[in-house]
Amino acid sequence: MKKLIVKLLGGEKLRMARISLFAILVSLIVGAVILLAIGKNPLSAYGNLLQGSGFLPKSSYAGRQNMFTDLMSFLDALTPMIFASLAVAVALRAGLFNIGVSGMMLAAGFAASVTVGHSALAAPIAKPLAVIIGIAAGAVVGALIGWLKYRFNINEVVSSIMINYILMYVFTFYINTFFLDPISRQSIAITDASRLTLTNVQAFGLKFNIPLAFVFALITAAAVGFMMNRTTMGFEIKAVGLSRRAARYAGISISKNMILSMTISGGLAGLAGVTYFCGYFASIQPGVVPSMGFNAIAVALLGNSDPIGCVFSSVLVTIISKGSIYMSSQQGVEVEMSDLITSVILIFAACSEFLRMYVDKLSMELDPGREVSRT
Amino acid sequence: MIDTIIIDGLAFALPMFIMAIGGIFSEKSGITNLALEGLQGFGAFTGGLAAVLVMQTVGSGSQLPYYVSFIAAIIGGMLYSLVHVVMCIRFRANQVISGVVVNILAMALTSFLTKRINEGVFSQTSNKFVLGTSVRITVPGISRIPVIGAVFRDVYPFEIMIVFIAVIMWYVMYRTPFGMHLRACGDNPHAADAVGINVNRVRTAAVIISGGLSAVAGMSYAYSISANFSPDIYLGFGYLSIAALIFGNWSILPTLGACLIFGFARSSGQAIIQQLGMPSTYNDIVRILPYVLTLCLLIFFSKHNNSPRALGEIYDKGKR
Repeated sequence: MKKLIVKLLGGEKLRMARISLFAILVSLIVGAVILLAIGKNPLSAYGNLLQGSGFLPKSSYAGRQNMFTDLMSFLDALTPMIFASLAVAVALRAGLFNIGVSGMMLAAGFAASVTVGHSALAAPIAKPLAVIIGIAAGAVVGALIGWLKYRFNINEVVSSIMINYILMYVFTFYINTFFLDPISRQSIAITDASRLTLTNVQAFGLKFNIPLAFVFALITAAAVGFMMNRTTMGFEIKAVGLSRRAARYAGISISKNMILSMTISGGLAGLAGVTYFCGYFASIQPGVVPSMGFNAIAVALLGNSDPIGCVFSSVLVTIISKGSIYMSSQQGVEVEMSDLITSVILIFAACSEFLRMYVDKLSMELDPGREVSRT
Repeated sequence: MIDTIIIDGLAFALPMFIMAIGGIFSEKSGITNLALEGLQGFGAFTGGLAAVLVMQTVGSGSQLPYYVSFIAAIIGGMLYSLVHVVMCIRFRANQVISGVVVNILAMALTSFLTKRINEGVFSQTSNKFVLGTSVRITVPGISRIPVIGAVFRDVYPFEIMIVFIAVIMWYVMYRTPFGMHLRACGDNPHAADAVGINVNRVRTAAVIISGGLSAVAGMSYAYSISANFSPDIYLGFGYLSIAALIFGNWSILPTLGACLIFGFARSSGQAIIQQLGMPSTYNDIVRILPYVLTLCLLIFFSKHNNSPRALGEIYDKGKR
């Protein structure tokens, strides 16, 4: 048994990815046990998750829909998730825990909706402008949290939770008072010209949505990866995250990098906000903090705060959350099941560091002569 | 109007105070506890479930469900806090991350289970356990004194309970060997270990205590503000209480002051809205008051705090 663990998880090559995969596997087994306990077939339930996300064909489709429609809708939901997980990852690298992604998303979505979304601007101007306003709004909130942390030593978790609720209540007030659509009980829908998702496109005899920002999300992930691994800025941010004292000794400004990383993180969260509220959706529901900001923490931890890892884990978590609606309709399982599986993944991801040390210890016991790998 | 501010403010502040005491126990022992939010929610869930089950057998007139629910909540909160214990002490996870994970899990688990149980046991589709608000007690005589008398008017029974528990907890923290050991573990775990204190055992006990106390708070909110258990109980009160204990400098009496300030800010905001006869949507603006106040107070007090020195550090015997 011990040998098997060491064989599977020891060694250098892609080990964090393998440990993450191990965490996912264990979580899926836990999920399967829960499903069995309530008398459902876990295999068909997990199959439903894939079917609902457009990776497997469903047994029947409505008119002008097929697997491709589902896949496009899945990508539409995936886009903001990638941005949100990158936001968490950048902050994590600087040693900051950004739990305020939800609030930043709301700020970006609200700012873009009321300025561009309700204006009569033409599509070529409106779409980029919405993105820019979203980035700016998110970055301002992020910078504020970073500044509070540096200047007043306020724990970023506490301040961002406070800011989440403050923003949520303020926007709820504004939406309910000025921008309420009396029928849908949500904010007034934004114009199609400013929406970042092309809805109901008709081609090949199908009707589907095109998330315009999806390719941009992949490019952003690559750009964040480049910034983190290949530039001075990324190096400094990582140095501050690894050891503040060592970074200060090396002449790296802690205040600058802390605020900088929170600003970048906020900008990415802003992108998540516009692609979520002005893309995947076209309106904001008052009184709700989007849960995507919290799921993004799971995604970033699972992806080991590596941008490419974030993309892969975003796919996984989005399959679970997006496919859960179909699973719920097919199996009669509550939609909350998906959150449950995601949070179990989160538990194992949080313990991955322990697992890494444990595997090191095991491999040392089995093979005392060998040099133990670091990191 | 001042009377309602005092009555509502106390009903909000005291549960927050007991939760903050739980946080102080955990943090004084050296474990950062952001899990208070999840612990209070999970406690309210088990308590709510117990109350609904008991209500079915004894009928709604009895006071029994009320007291059973608090006991069940404390047990539930203590058990659930073991998740944080296992992650922080056994698996050496980052304590901040672990706390947030515990909260997210609590949210997912309780909303899943609530729906499941409502469907399976009570065969109805609903995401809440309806509890109703608890009875209120008015102390005859003293309550007729103007202004101060309001403290004794329309008191929820849980407020009295909380005051009792708080006094006991204060005694445990500052007047017993256990409290002494606990504070030593948070300030200098190696020294504590050297005199023969089992650091991890003390910390485990501290987190379990915080679980039980948070559950009392969660149950109190379920019986007063929301009148039911539903996922809406996760309103960030746990984080507010953490802010209160930071503001109170990790000691119990100043924390009470912080909680009272939050409570009165909240109730006076609502009273003002009512007094001015503004539409109900304006309530949302007032709801931000405790949060804004927290931020402002943290700005002034975070810099000069003296947090437990080993707070958030995983205890490693071999270090140094």
